[in-house]
Amino acid sequence: MKSIKLLAVFTALMLVFAACTSDDSGDATTTEADGGGDGGTDTTEGDDVDLTQTDTLADVRAAGQIVCGVNDGLPGFGVVDADGNYDGFDVDFCRVVAAGVLGDADAVEYRPLTAEARFTALQAGEIDLLIRNTTWTATRDGQEGANFLFTTFYDGQGMMVPASTGFTTLEDLADANICVLSGTTTELNLTSVFNARGIPFNPVVFEDNSQLRPAYEEGQCEGWTSDASQLAAFKSAIEGEGGDDQFIMAEIISKEPLGPVVADGDTNWAQAVEWSVMATVQAWEFGLDSSNIGSYSGDNPNILNFVGSDNFDPGLGLAPDFAVQVVEQVGNYKEIFDRHIPAIGLQLEGSPNNIWTEGGLMYVPPYR
Amino acid sequence: MTTLIEPETTSAPPIHERNAWEWIKHNLFPNWWSGLVTIVLLPILLYMAYRALRFFFVTGQWEAVEVNLALFMQGTFPRDEQWRLIAQILTFALAFGIGAGTASASARDRAEDASLAHERGSLTDTLKRMWSMIAFIVLLLVFATTHDPGSPISPFLVVFGAVLAGYVGYQARRLPRRLRNLGWLLTLVLLVVGFQVVSGFDSGGWLPLGIILGSAAYSVVPVERFESRWLRLLVRLAAAAVVVLVIRAVYGAIDSTGIGWDEWSGLHLTLLVSAIAIVLAFPLGLLLALARRSTLPALRYMSTVYIEVIRGVPLITLLFMGQFIIGFMVPAGTELSDVTRAIVAMTAFAAAYIAEIVRGGLQALPSGQTEAGQALGLAPPTIMRRIVLPQALRAVIPAMVGQFISLFKDSSLLFIIGIVEFLGVRRIIHAQEAFRGVGIAETLVFVALGYWAFAFAMSRESQRLERRLRVSR
Repeated sequence: MKSIKLLAVFTALMLVFAACTSDDSGDATTTEADGGGDGGTDTTEGDDVDLTQTDTLADVRAAGQIVCGVNDGLPGFGVVDADGNYDGFDVDFCRVVAAGVLGDADAVEYRPLTAEARFTALQAGEIDLLIRNTTWTATRDGQEGANFLFTTFYDGQGMMVPASTGFTTLEDLADANICVLSGTTTELNLTSVFNARGIPFNPVVFEDNSQLRPAYEEGQCEGWTSDASQLAAFKSAIEGEGGDDQFIMAEIISKEPLGPVVADGDTNWAQAVEWSVMATVQAWEFGLDSSNIGSYSGDNPNILNFVGSDNFDPGLGLAPDFAVQVVEQVGNYKEIFDRHIPAIGLQLEGSPNNIWTEGGLMYVPPYR
Repeated sequence: MTTLIEPETTSAPPIHERNAWEWIKHNLFPNWWSGLVTIVLLPILLYMAYRALRFFFVTGQWEAVEVNLALFMQGTFPRDEQWRLIAQILTFALAFGIGAGTASASARDRAEDASLAHERGSLTDTLKRMWSMIAFIVLLLVFATTHDPGSPISPFLVVFGAVLAGYVGYQARRLPRRLRNLGWLLTLVLLVVGFQVVSGFDSGGWLPLGIILGSAAYSVVPVERFESRWLRLLVRLAAAAVVVLVIRAVYGAIDSTGIGWDEWSGLHLTLLVSAIAIVLAFPLGLLLALARRSTLPALRYMSTVYIEVIRGVPLITLLFMGQFIIGFMVPAGTELSDVTRAIVAMTAFAAAYIAEIVRGGLQALPSGQTEAGQALGLAPPTIMRRIVLPQALRAVIPAMVGQFISLFKDSSLLFIIGIVEFLGVRRIIHAQEAFRGVGIAETLVFVALGYWAFAFAMSRESQRLERRLRVSR
């Protein structure tokens, strides 16, 4: 009798757990079906196929949306507004890929990810695409099963000091306290560069920029090292709020190329993502932007290929007019840049992110 | 103010009215060194109070909270599906109303049976218990008024609707006595429906209601006319099966998808995740406690190992393990969302602590209680259910609620694994251009107030439970 009761209790408990899982799997299907319109129920089967042969492009088309891993708390690159909408430079490139692959820039499900979880999510197939200010390094390319694509933003680690200190080079910071975030490549770069040059320093380590900034403003450290894009954002914020003038040293102590990442082993998907992203630069080079690409009436054969008005199909698995969709719905590279990056205090002119014809690094292979 | 120590007298203590001056003299300046402490501390305290009030009303930049109020409440929940949240609030309010009404009525029933006077809990008592939550809701309404969050339905209407639904539900206490169980059943059903209004009534979601209504059918179907015991059981099972099948068919027919908990965030996620973890952890902890005291060595050792391993690991470690390791333990291809993993980790963690709390209650019970049950010839499960557990659980209510409160607050750790719960919303807000480095203290104070409001209400509720069950006798 006792054992029967115990068995009953256990069964009930099992049922409760089953309830939770079934709820959940139901929801997962739901979410995908919701945004995608049709074919949402196929996703579960699609994921099973995933394990043997990966065809993300077909899966994404079946689901009707891409799942994009983003940052939800990086000014300029990935933020969430008061209405819960994602916005930012990286977020716009998620939209670019959705517009290129699916023809609808809004067909994106955003998945906010921590720095630690991003590659796991990519490997596990939880996301189709990772655009989360992720630096392209050899180790990550080699060990994380990640395939780094066209660099959308050339960043670099810089050093900011209060202008009143008069420091202009790293050597001036000998024996200084330097604020840095813990567990980032930033911390690693700081240590290696200062040790290599034999400059003694004390790192003051923080978990979060919202703790680091007040500490820096209170003078707990003489220098603040981080990606130049972030420093510029904080410089303008501090000065804008009436704080002390800040100075960002010209010296860049690391290369930080940021761009979209997909999982290794699915070339078709990687190509589709890469050419969607590169279309924004190509359009810029052609002088096309969201206002005029749809109404191009010239006779430049390269541009006619690019906008697909002659139904040119290079076999990338993208619609002939994908570039028009990308640029009309999201914009060319310069439009995307201007929408987000000057606001955080960085300019296009003179930076590596300028187009190659003006001395920058934005150079894409010809579309023909 | 009333905790003065009166001099002992043989007659009834005289009621001594003190005027303000006497009170100050007695409490603040009873002797020279106390007076000195007062003189030193009072200005400091007054200055701190002044600074705090000034921060709240003058210097505080509350725009960060005002503008992002909706973000704090519901995070990135799709705004065009907001009706689901409102429907959930109203359904839960109705469910809580019915539950409270039924509980009050059954307390009245019990008092009647024992021919004792029944004192109905007054509205003032309820308000006193819930004042922190009410204050928080008022604060929300104030912020919503100072900045319109662009919600299609005014927050005032939602609050009013919830109060109305709760009041209507509370009228369940007027139901005749034979319908008491119906009140409980309705509460459970509404809780499930309220949950699924958001998560969706898809064809796979029949199970919770199936279990609840199936067990109800099992126990209410009239079987008295059947002689054979087996026939009775068969009829009961058949009734339950019919109900379950009907519910399954209904869900299959509706099959409407909603917004799963992967897409929840903000305070909504914090409250729901904590509630789910608490509801799951309690039975699991109870079973673990019983297993640890079981006479079967295998059960006992397994339970002991589980409890000691889990208790030796910090929750944040478990949460990280949930994110990165659970994936290797489930069959390949099973997709578990971050939130599901977090709930599993939180439940596993809390269950171990609850098991130890319950074990403490079990051990505190004199063995005479069990022996008395045995002497009466009761079966061991009956002794456990009717004699041991009620007393053991009653004794550990304070510790248990303490564990629940701590689990609720620990849900803020989900922020570290990238789930945007109530505290995590702050990080998002301070990445917005307008609030980069602006209002950092203000949002933190707001979040702290939110956690405090709920935790304090839970603590007051547990105190009431203790009083009602006379734990301290």
